[in-house]
Amino acid sequence: MNDGYNVIGKSVGRIDGKVKVTGQAKYTGDLRFPGMLVGKILTSPYAHARILSIDTSEAEKLPGVKAVITHKDVPSLKYGISPARWDENIFCIEKVLFVGDKIAAVAAVDEETVYKALKLIKVEYEVLPAVLDPLKAMDEDTPWLHAEYPHNINTEIHQDFGNVEKAFAESFHVRTDRFVGQRAYQSPIEPHSAISMWDGDKLTVYSSTQSPHYFQYYIARQFGLPMGNVRVLKTYIGGGFGGKLEPTGLEFAGAALAKITGRPVRMFYDRHEMFAHNRGRHRQYMELKTGVDKDGKILGVYANFLMDGGAYTSLGVASAYYAGALLTIPYDFANYRFDMYRVYTNLPACGAQRGHGHPQPRFAFESHMDNIAHDLRLDPIELRLRNARKPGTITPNEFKVNSCALEAAVEKARAISNWDEKRNNLPKGRGIGIGLGAFVSGAGYPIYRTNLPHAAAIIKVNEDGSSATLYTGAVDIGQGSDTVLCQMAAEAMGYTFEKMTIVSADTEAAPHDFGAYASRQTLMSGAAVKQAGEDVKKQLLELAAPSLGINVAELDCRDEVIYVKKSPEQQRTFAEVAREFFVKKGPLVGKGSYTPPKLGGKFKGAAVGTSPAYSFAAQVTEVAVDPETGEVNVLEAWDVHDCGKVINPALLHAQVHGAFFMGMGESVWEEVLFDENGKILNANLSDYRVPTALDMPQFHSELVDSYEPNAPWGVKEVGEGATTPTMGSIANAIYHASGVRIKSLPISPEKIWRALKEQREE
Amino acid sequence: MPEVLRDSQGSKHYLINLNVNGDTYTLAVKGNALLVNVLRDWLDFTGTKKGCELGDCGSCTVLIDGKPVNSCMVLAVEAEGHEITTIEGVSPSDKLDRLQESFIANAAIQCGYCTPGMILAGKALLTHNPHPTEMEVREAISGNLCRCTGYVNIVKAILAVADENPPEGGESA
Amino acid sequence: MYLPDFDYYAPPDLVEACQLVREFGNSAKILAGGTDLLHKMKHTELAPEAVISLKKLSELKGIRYLPGQGVIIGALTTQNELADSPLLHRKYRSVCEAAHNMANNQIRHIGTVGGNIVNAVPSADLPPILMVLGAKVKLVNIDGERTVPLDEFFLGVHQTIRRDDEILTEIEIPDQKTTGSTSIRFGLRKSGALAVAGAAVAVEMDGETCRSARIVLAAAAPVPMRARAAERLITGQQITPDLLEQAGAAAARESNPRDSIRGSAEYRRDLIRILTRRALHKAITEGHV
Repeated sequence: MNDGYNVIGKSVGRIDGKVKVTGQAKYTGDLRFPGMLVGKILTSPYAHARILSIDTSEAEKLPGVKAVITHKDVPSLKYGISPARWDENIFCIEKVLFVGDKIAAVAAVDEETVYKALKLIKVEYEVLPAVLDPLKAMDEDTPWLHAEYPHNINTEIHQDFGNVEKAFAESFHVRTDRFVGQRAYQSPIEPHSAISMWDGDKLTVYSSTQSPHYFQYYIARQFGLPMGNVRVLKTYIGGGFGGKLEPTGLEFAGAALAKITGRPVRMFYDRHEMFAHNRGRHRQYMELKTGVDKDGKILGVYANFLMDGGAYTSLGVASAYYAGALLTIPYDFANYRFDMYRVYTNLPACGAQRGHGHPQPRFAFESHMDNIAHDLRLDPIELRLRNARKPGTITPNEFKVNSCALEAAVEKARAISNWDEKRNNLPKGRGIGIGLGAFVSGAGYPIYRTNLPHAAAIIKVNEDGSSATLYTGAVDIGQGSDTVLCQMAAEAMGYTFEKMTIVSADTEAAPHDFGAYASRQTLMSGAAVKQAGEDVKKQLLELAAPSLGINVAELDCRDEVIYVKKSPEQQRTFAEVAREFFVKKGPLVGKGSYTPPKLGGKFKGAAVGTSPAYSFAAQVTEVAVDPETGEVNVLEAWDVHDCGKVINPALLHAQVHGAFFMGMGESVWEEVLFDENGKILNANLSDYRVPTALDMPQFHSELVDSYEPNAPWGVKEVGEGATTPTMGSIANAIYHASGVRIKSLPISPEKIWRALKEQREE
Repeated sequence: MPEVLRDSQGSKHYLINLNVNGDTYTLAVKGNALLVNVLRDWLDFTGTKKGCELGDCGSCTVLIDGKPVNSCMVLAVEAEGHEITTIEGVSPSDKLDRLQESFIANAAIQCGYCTPGMILAGKALLTHNPHPTEMEVREAISGNLCRCTGYVNIVKAILAVADENPPEGGESA
Repeated sequence: MYLPDFDYYAPPDLVEACQLVREFGNSAKILAGGTDLLHKMKHTELAPEAVISLKKLSELKGIRYLPGQGVIIGALTTQNELADSPLLHRKYRSVCEAAHNMANNQIRHIGTVGGNIVNAVPSADLPPILMVLGAKVKLVNIDGERTVPLDEFFLGVHQTIRRDDEILTEIEIPDQKTTGSTSIRFGLRKSGALAVAGAAVAVEMDGETCRSARIVLAAAAPVPMRARAAERLITGQQITPDLLEQAGAAAARESNPRDSIRGSAEYRRDLIRILTRRALHKAITEGHV
């Protein structure tokens, strides 16, 4: 009982560890149901084309094919994940808008038949000029993808806080830099899949989803069903990283095929189709202008951005707002202006990827900060410390930051990386760089407007008290929420982790929760779980108090023992009291729910970026750059995090490892490429280069003390925030090593090689 | 050459005996049947995952005669006559193999989708090289992509088992 | 993804295999490891009527040394068997290294040396190092066999002098006077990435003087390409750092790389300069590495 906690704060093994190491864990694609068919979607080979005709007759004749459907067979209601811009149909009706847009679907007895049937569907197209360059999307003579969105403007943001022009006028130094962030893709190793089946007018969908709730909501809406008639449940999920947050054609087409055939239908994307479906990181053009005083204190920032949204909205409205909103978090400045256009192009739609909209602007800003430090002849860490946010402050865009140990994190990163020594003494070709980051611990508002609580939880104690089950809508996509939430439940109940079981992310069996996105579950789902656990404990103590002849306030429960606080030898076991409870009062059930406090300002878009709490991070990276070939070797990296109270240190550090890894991939290796017709050139894991074990450096993850008053036990997020500093940290290390500043991601060897060559030729 | 059977449409099927995890299964497969699909769809060894179907990600790794290979790049007919080990065969009982335990103890699992392939690649390494260096561990799993862990704890988990192994010429000799 | 339908044959011996490939001609594909063949079939670049597997031909496996002749490598030897061969480690570690650095571990356990050669792609890892070591390949058909220098084997991308009825059975690295050899590849990731450019060299040194040199470039032309101008530049010469730089520059000039998603022609050409110089330096100073 070192810190007064019995269960939280400990690196218990994952609750799903055993099933995952033995291969018993069933992912959606592993499930088998009697009579189950296999379904696939036919997609467009053109980036922009009018559909003249679709002939499915040959496909229907193929033995083993059970159904072929097009837009005529499904509701024509538009959907999307952002209610402000519903712009997708289950299948295209008049036009296809990108290579990969959905046209028809087939259900057949096996995979081979389905693939063969897709080839037999004949579609006649009239190919239209495609908009592939986001910088030209708004031009006068550029065709519009959607008639409802003139000049291909999907989202337009103009926010102005304080007086930026005045700040620039008063600045000692004003600098402008332009950066580009590339299209990246989440690339979870498990491809998307969904199994749909009907029982009368009740639909059940097993899906590899990050949010059963949003799927349930949108599937019900699309098919005109009460939400209670749609059950969405997730199995084990092979990673999401934002790419599995919104319903895909798999759920809608699968539901339609299952209805027609009367059989369960398993739909899936293969790797190529995942890239085509996309919803990954946007390509962003980012111009930053910053004014500082002579000490380097930031007086004002102007962020002027444009992002390539692809053909549909996806989560892009939020991505666009996040891009600018979170720039105000790590550094404290008063004057801020943010302009953004998110434009439509005839490319796959972009959405939310780990760090939602923010990692690239963070890369831009961290690179920009290093340039300013260079201009002022200041150590990059010194400049950051002079501007680092402090606890209990409010950003210009009205985000309230409670806990913040950013300065301590920077100082610790400086110490453990041996920054001061290395910064001045590394040999030629080696460099060290820093980047800071921050992120929301859950979004202050849900994706569609609703007054539902953000999270809810139920705990049911087994009749004899020998186990307890947590029911939660929270979604474990690999990050470990099932484990962490069970730890929290056990702590709050005064129980033990080992006796917890969990039923999560099943819209029928578990209560509502918005799901795994915006790094929200430890804080928000955790708050609901804590309340449910305390509810169980309260009921037990109330029952036990008379039997111990004492007032309930004098009792507590820990580690399965109910005891009198002042004389702990007076006790009863949890199990014994729980059993008595069931006998006398019926099921012992605890309930909890969580709604965040009202957050943020009143301006347009004020909701995006609000959060009960913000995490902070400092990352230092050391690299070697081959001065001839431009090859980058990431040698070692250090992350120091302020993420509040930690529930499970081992899982937390593992999140940091993975977050850095993803940011590292995007820094040097990863980019989705297209040809001049909008076809993806590298829709595979060979040329979309997710780093391998040989590319990952020695990595150190450390913490600074922090407690968040707005959160259960003082917790904050880690999973997404840890990706935000990485690209800047690596970019700055590469600059330090090579002397060239690459302003577009990924910082590939060829870009470094070219810049070095140009530098030599100058 | 396996015996050839013909279906009603005249397609050829080949009668093969597949040895998976020590058991023999007699199956009639088409020539184009991939080992990964036969393992998953016919024999329900769904611990063998499909991630890329092109030999890039390693999630379909199985051991063939002790060597890690991508089962998406092997024809089922070609696997006859070899010993195939899937993740379900790593531990013969409810007791976990030491490497499986080490993955749990070292928080080397997140989503778990790459885990079976990682464990099999790690097993193959430790079998022929009980005391690998960190670089050898990284090389052994370099054909297994993981999107969650940055490999940090996976490398640690494999090395932890290597450290437990009795040194050469030690007690096992 | 799925494979198109085909009839499968696994002949028990080379004679029967030769009969089958003669019978099917170009409507069949020969299956060795399958890592390239299945890849292409999954992308429906190939849909052969028949696939003829060599898996039963044990005479095509293994690595041995024939005194007075050279090292004989069976075409079905996997890339990892090549990488781990004690015999090759002693004689030409450079071949082991080239095999070890290609593809990824799982693929190297399936992919064969014969397949890597016959597939004939410009970025292939094994042909350059084998070519600089003067390797020859044996092609067998039902009528007989012929042995051809690997140097003369490649005609273009996916094109070789192998006739449809021939099976590549073995590779011979003849005994030789070379004192050093190596190959360096440049990939965009440390595993599982095709070479953007590569250079293999073998040299015969006599003190500071280079008696002979062979340089073969990868991903520099439609076929693995001899950099003859660079070879001429150093043959018979006293080796200096400046000369090696010139040889690199010469190799870059005579190379003919193309633009691709992995690198521009301009970048690749400069990589060839750098890699050629580095490979020469390594082979000259470190032996067969």
